[in-house]
Amino acid sequence: MNAMAEPLIRMEHISKSYGRVQALDDVTFTVNQHEIVGLLGDNGAGKSTLIKVLSGAVPLTSGEIFIRGQKVTLRSTTDAIARGIETIYQDSALVTQLSIARNLFLGREPIKPPRFLNRMDQDAMDAVARTLLKKVGITKDIPPSTPIGALSGGERQAVAIARAMHFDSDLIILDEPTNNLGVAETQGVLRFVRGARDSGHSCIFIAHNIHHVFQVVDRIVVMRRGKVVADDIDPKRTTIEHVEEVITGMAEETVDLGAAPP
Amino acid sequence: MEHRSLAQRLIARPEFGPFVLLVVELAGFWAINHDFLSPQNISNTLSFTVELGLIALAMTLLMTSGEFDLSVGSMFGFAPVLMWTLFNSGATSLEVGFVVALVVAALIGLVNGWFVTQLKITSFLVTLGMLLVVRGTALFVTDGFPQRTWSAGTHWLAQVLVGEFFVGTFRVYMSLFWFLAAAVLLGYVLTQTRVGNWILASGGNANAARARGVNVDRTKIALFMLSAMMAAFAGIISSIRTSAANPNSGTGYELEVIAMVVIGGTALTGGRGTVIGTVLGVLILRVMRNGIVLIGVPGLAYNIFIGAIILGMMALHSWLERRHHAGT
Repeated sequence: MNAMAEPLIRMEHISKSYGRVQALDDVTFTVNQHEIVGLLGDNGAGKSTLIKVLSGAVPLTSGEIFIRGQKVTLRSTTDAIARGIETIYQDSALVTQLSIARNLFLGREPIKPPRFLNRMDQDAMDAVARTLLKKVGITKDIPPSTPIGALSGGERQAVAIARAMHFDSDLIILDEPTNNLGVAETQGVLRFVRGARDSGHSCIFIAHNIHHVFQVVDRIVVMRRGKVVADDIDPKRTTIEHVEEVITGMAEETVDLGAAPP
Repeated sequence: MEHRSLAQRLIARPEFGPFVLLVVELAGFWAINHDFLSPQNISNTLSFTVELGLIALAMTLLMTSGEFDLSVGSMFGFAPVLMWTLFNSGATSLEVGFVVALVVAALIGLVNGWFVTQLKITSFLVTLGMLLVVRGTALFVTDGFPQRTWSAGTHWLAQVLVGEFFVGTFRVYMSLFWFLAAAVLLGYVLTQTRVGNWILASGGNANAARARGVNVDRTKIALFMLSAMMAAFAGIISSIRTSAANPNSGTGYELEVIAMVVIGGTALTGGRGTVIGTVLGVLILRVMRNGIVLIGVPGLAYNIFIGAIILGMMALHSWLERRHHAGT
């Protein structure tokens, strides 16, 4: 089928400059369907800018973005979400004072009839929340009425991922989801990410910790100084040391690094 | 997270502290002077309480969304002045004057909201400026003199807004029912509705709310309009009850109202708000004002008690907050 062969996301010749600083320089980047892509690079390599462009947070200077082969213009984060691109920044995506259920449905709260009373269907929200928390692999019994502020960092990530899954985001972008998390929590988040892929979503996984990236991604893309320097590294056929060399620029290959000797 | 016992959950509620304080206050004043709970005294206390209370209810929603409004006191003075000036000059009927006053209030609220959300100026500065503009207008229009209001007494609108009737020896103003209706309605909006969820989210994390498609700016603008209209409504009720539309009335009410709201457990920073708490906060401050006079403390000492209550309640809320988070 043609639609399946077409990548989910195709960003072509993307450039972005802030004044005289060239943050992205002719970047071409794709995400296939049902794929977890690890996006790596040192500080200032352009990862964050690329993600901000894709999530609609900043406008691009030049280049084109295609979703399932269709050219799109992303004017705002709301725009991107409506097109199925959900970005999860640590902490910033949830309202800590609100409950899990209310966060899950924020902006899309189901209404009980009669509609003019504008009354939220709390039971329906709680029921979905319970199912979703199980689906992303939270085994502890957390009531959906628990405020986000009472959850651990990993559980918050789980709620954000669950929300993206429930609202059928095709692409879930995780920006440093394992930062400041303990070992068990990190394993939990990695499990949520795999779970999201297995239920048909694609992910972009950004993390400083290469070990975490290796555990979960299907393909690694490396950026350096605003350019993509490697875009097809298979984590199963290479070593962490080699990827580190590509990130720092000690290994200069830009083609098919997947075949590099260990 | 383990399930808490019923008692623990009750204590963790933000309304618990204010509730205990109100009970202690009532018991204390009653112990010193039994007249404190006489029907006459309760009726007197309630009549003015509900007028400030109406403003406090709207302010609760506005503060939950992360903003506040310092111009409510001046609106409380300005709206009745506008209504009575229109009526006394023969320009409009009382009904039309009433509607015009509320519409003007809504427009002023709209301007407040527009400055805060579109020009990104803090609500403190915007509404402080508006306070001066509105109060100045009221003084300028009237040359500083009160407007005649005695012709209102038997008008149907006056009866509906603040007409008095007796339950036995207990005198009740219609305004009490307006206050109760507003409390139930706004409590419902904040806790049960989608709009309530948006108000909480706008105050808790505006960026997260925006990212989910919540129109944070429109929510806040609507609440600024509600706040201005409630202040106008309360001012008009007060002017009919006291038979005076004084351009200076309502001076300082903004701070008393904000104090009522925060004592009730609504966060000054937004994201957390309780209408029930505000009703308790309103009662705590008004009962305090009434009670200290009744037990013979000079009225001038009132602010000392109010200040102490605010500090005490803030300490309690912060302690509960920390305890709540430490326990999970």
